[in-house]
Amino acid sequence: MKRHLALRHLAIAAAVVSMIAAAGCGGTPGSSPGSGGSTPTGAVQKTGFDKLGPVHLLIWSYDNQDPGLEPVLKQLSANFEKQYPNVKIDMVFKDFNSLVNVVPRALASGSGPDITEGNQGYQTDAQLVKAKLIVPLDRYISAYGWEKWYSPSTWSMFRWTDDGKTFGKGPTWGVAQTGQNINVYVNTQKLKQLGFDPSNMPQTFDEFNTMLGQIRAKLPKNEPVIEFGNNEGYGTIHMFGGIQAAFFSPQDERNWIQHVPGSTWDTPDNIKALETYQSWAKNGYFNSDYNALKYDQSAAEFAKGNGVFWMGGDWDASIVKSGLGDNAAVINIPPGSSGTWAGVGGLSGPWHISSKTKYPDLAAAWLNYIIASPEAQKLMYAQQQIPSPSDAAAPPAGDPYLGQVTDAFRQVADDDGLMLYTDWASPTMYDTLASNFQDLLAGRISAQDMAKNVQDDWDKFDQTLKQ
Amino acid sequence: MATETAAQVGPETTARDRARARKRAPGEPRNVAWLYILPGLLFYGLFTLAPLAHTVELSFFDWDGLTVGHYIGLANYREAVSDPLVRDSFKHSAELIVFYALLPVALGLLLTAILTRHPVRGFTFYRTALFLPQMIAGVVVAQAWVWIYAANGPLNAFLRDIGLGSLARPWLGDFTWALPAVGGIGTWVTYGLCMVLFIAGAQSIPHSLYDAARVDGAGAVREFFAVTLPALRNQVVVAFVLTTINALRSFDVIYNATSGGPGTTTYVPSYYMYRNAFVFNRVGYAAAIAVILTAAIFTLAGIVLYVSSRGEER
Repeated sequence: MKRHLALRHLAIAAAVVSMIAAAGCGGTPGSSPGSGGSTPTGAVQKTGFDKLGPVHLLIWSYDNQDPGLEPVLKQLSANFEKQYPNVKIDMVFKDFNSLVNVVPRALASGSGPDITEGNQGYQTDAQLVKAKLIVPLDRYISAYGWEKWYSPSTWSMFRWTDDGKTFGKGPTWGVAQTGQNINVYVNTQKLKQLGFDPSNMPQTFDEFNTMLGQIRAKLPKNEPVIEFGNNEGYGTIHMFGGIQAAFFSPQDERNWIQHVPGSTWDTPDNIKALETYQSWAKNGYFNSDYNALKYDQSAAEFAKGNGVFWMGGDWDASIVKSGLGDNAAVINIPPGSSGTWAGVGGLSGPWHISSKTKYPDLAAAWLNYIIASPEAQKLMYAQQQIPSPSDAAAPPAGDPYLGQVTDAFRQVADDDGLMLYTDWASPTMYDTLASNFQDLLAGRISAQDMAKNVQDDWDKFDQTLKQ
Repeated sequence: MATETAAQVGPETTARDRARARKRAPGEPRNVAWLYILPGLLFYGLFTLAPLAHTVELSFFDWDGLTVGHYIGLANYREAVSDPLVRDSFKHSAELIVFYALLPVALGLLLTAILTRHPVRGFTFYRTALFLPQMIAGVVVAQAWVWIYAANGPLNAFLRDIGLGSLARPWLGDFTWALPAVGGIGTWVTYGLCMVLFIAGAQSIPHSLYDAARVDGAGAVREFFAVTLPALRNQVVVAFVLTTINALRSFDVIYNATSGGPGTTTYVPSYYMYRNAFVFNRVGYAAAIAVILTAAIFTLAGIVLYVSSRGEER
């Protein structure tokens, strides 16, 4: 009898306990320890890492497009391991979205990468800074003399106050390997066939805009003037930058992205830029399936000979060249009345050092090696990528195409025309821009609507920064 | 247990034991049954109930997923109710139910009627082949259909070949057609499941019923509505519940094929929830959307089961 009762109570108790265990998970989210690590202090160790004993460095990167910097990073890491045989580098490549949407939690878990790329702007880097998941690099900047790499306005894309709220001020949290600029890739053979002279390209936006119309009139109806892939929604952000720059000042755009008080996107000039962009779609300059085609697919289509122009990142220079060979050329969208060469661009993904790594100084030595060393810069040029430091070696002679890619970046950078990436302005801005641009190009909303929608997103996020 | 049973049926049964036994209706499980379901309950609690409770809890917080969150009561729910994108997402889901639930069930019934009426050579092969889509990973399915739907893909090539070139379009990039195109993928994935459920059910229908129907002069259509469909009623209910749940939580195909675009025409609640949790750093708001979605799934499944059980009583 006793046993029977005990068994019964035990059963009920056990069941109840399991239910409580299941439901009981109270407490304020995020309040448990272990989200942030520590900031290293003291003198920076620059050499002698071979005495550290066995070291395992985990590095995450998304620079694996077509193939982009992937071979460069692999080769440089192999060299680095040769220099320090006790160091084992584990390079992990992920696509952009898979990396940036996962890396905050990976770093917080404590088993994430020692070094990783983030993304400038409020969506990713602000979060990493705010949660103290990465360390400021100011010690390393002065120890290695990285100051001279970039202009102050370029450095501002890596600077955040400790609370992750003010963009462009405060400590510096990242450095980048390559320069990024949105180019106009030109199929010179097609252009010649249509009776244009590729060596005499338009020098003003109006001339360029007129030229697009002339090409449309001469080209067979089923061929696009501009090959376009916008399935993911960033192709459009890139392309619009060159148009916007003809109407809207780059400094205003940067201020807006960095939430300088009083900034707005909803201006008559910007609406004019949006209207111009809408007219490109209306005039049939694009392939009809641009919303279904992915960015990289459109690059491949252009490389196969579809379209007279393709607008995309200079990081895609090699895929275009591999397809078109000597018929590929590179220009920028020419400037508007201001005469300033500008467009969407900046530097490549920011490299960060985890606040939880045991080897922050070693990580900084690796960063210095992959950006500043002559081997690194030579390997970058070999992949048609432009080293970011302003004191970088010149591109190798005898490669006119690479010369054009480099010149295009310098033309914009020297005019202080790198407008940064519009989607950095708020965590939701990428989605807002992507869907609004698609609606705009399809004629479902007006330029005024779009300017207002984008500014509404900005205002809503701006409110949270003031809290 | 053996001793206990013996005690109850044996001659030495005490009055107290008999009294206890009477408290329980005959055949009703004893409390000790809790111990038997404990292992299952523990896992269910740990991996289903606990995350569910945690999600409900998070939905009351403003939390970025990393730093300390703070309690904001029902603010997330208030925002969700007035968020046009949440409303659009649920509207799109409702449209997807047509493609993920109604069409597959109808197709499944049609195939069952065809495959069971006459012995078909290679029956097992067809059954397996038609069930195959159900077993392929969503990512693979999405990639394959992105190719099929492409501007120069096989679907448009087929339309042009049969002289319907004017209908050809980049399906997934078209504001009007992207959602139905995604729905078409859902139909393709789910109809096999429905069909297998129905065929299994149909095989247990006594052949005498068909014989009787035929003697009474029923044709194929009459036979289907008089014999097959009523006998499959339980399978149809199960298929409806499963496919409706599939429709409401569809994510992988949207994520891989359209990213919610063009515009926001293929946004669904689970995709919007994912964007909030992992891209916009708004875990609390994402949790609120998840709770609303869960409630919607429970409600719809409940309605289907309620309607079907009422029908049974008649």
